[in-house]
Amino acid sequence: MVELVVTVPNKLGIHARPAAMIVRAAVEFDSEIWLESPADKVNAKSIMGVMTLAASGGTSVTVSAAGDDETTAVEAVADVIKSGFGEEMI
Amino acid sequence: MQDRYPDPETFSTGILFESLGRKLELEPVTDTGGYNRMVVSPDISRPGLCLSGYTYKFMHDRIQIFGETEITLLKQLSPAERTAAVANVYSFSVVCAIVTKGLTPPDELVAAALESGSALFSSPQDTTPLIHDLTHYLGEVFAPHVSLHGTLVDIYGEGVLVMGRSAIGKSEAVLGLVERGHRLVADDLVRVRRAGNRLIGTGDALIGFHMEIRGIGFVSIAELFGVGATKEMQSVDLVVRLLDADLTDETDRSGLEENLMAVLGVDIPLVEIPVLPGRNITLLLEVAAMMNIQAKDTGCTSAERLNRKLIARMGRKRLRD
Repeated sequence: MVELVVTVPNKLGIHARPAAMIVRAAVEFDSEIWLESPADKVNAKSIMGVMTLAASGGTSVTVSAAGDDETTAVEAVADVIKSGFGEEMI
Repeated sequence: MQDRYPDPETFSTGILFESLGRKLELEPVTDTGGYNRMVVSPDISRPGLCLSGYTYKFMHDRIQIFGETEITLLKQLSPAERTAAVANVYSFSVVCAIVTKGLTPPDELVAAALESGSALFSSPQDTTPLIHDLTHYLGEVFAPHVSLHGTLVDIYGEGVLVMGRSAIGKSEAVLGLVERGHRLVADDLVRVRRAGNRLIGTGDALIGFHMEIRGIGFVSIAELFGVGATKEMQSVDLVVRLLDADLTDETDRSGLEENLMAVLGVDIPLVEIPVLPGRNITLLLEVAAMMNIQAKDTGCTSAERLNRKLIARMGRKRLRD
């Protein structure tokens, strides 16, 4: 199990389009991947799950993974979030 | 079948007479021949100015309409002047001419048409309504058109053009739609023409409402499911492309990105559906059509509405924190 804490850097937070980008990165890996906010923990391969998190800009989320490729998986998903999804930053 | 228009490439005076003669109540004035002359323009011409001697820019390649104005003008002239006036027009190769309002064409006009071998028709109908019907028809014949490989089906009034490589399952999926009460317009080959900013699709007259289903052969939808399962023509409102699952790029799963496909210069919403074992393509086509209707009615897609709600929720959450 690997964990990384990242801050959602874009203004609008993880809305539908960023959620789709996260899921697209996550499904590339065999590991189970989760996103966790103080309120909830969801499967990073589920677009509905990621959206339900409602992680607004500035929120800290924990990316975690368990499986053979857990290290690269966590880094890849965290990188997508840190990129700000090509949107306006806070 | 009705509402299938002649091919503009081979659209002759004879074909015009055959296809529109009854509606416009056209009668050949005399046997002038000229039925093989090609109609090349969707426009018509009133030859009044040309009759009076102004032949510059005379549109001789259009169908000439002799209305009350033209016939009255001719009748006021002496026989010699009349011959000269008519000669102004018939010195050009006239496609064909129609005398409206049941007026009797002067002998000189008939003689000129005979001599030039150009068809001359008469109609009891008034000039303006006749021109209206004729121009409308010609507009349809000469509309830009293209034949597409796909299946066109009316789903709740929405014209859905299903495309994709052969054997991907277009026909089977549409057969399922017909079974659920939707209407087949054309299978395998769809003729699409542009009318203003809309696309109108029809099938091929020979193929009719037959579908080719692998393992079964040709299926006549009209005979098997009844005429209610078929439709002659339908606007094309949505294109759904069926894709092999392994070729599908998973760029967008949310449906937030709107894809378009240009057909004859008109942009039509495009939905791409990966075909995977166990997916009910019939059901997905129905849903895609309903979502397209809803998007048009409400001005935004359900993905956009959901996303707006989500962004609003995040905004409220931030205020609380």
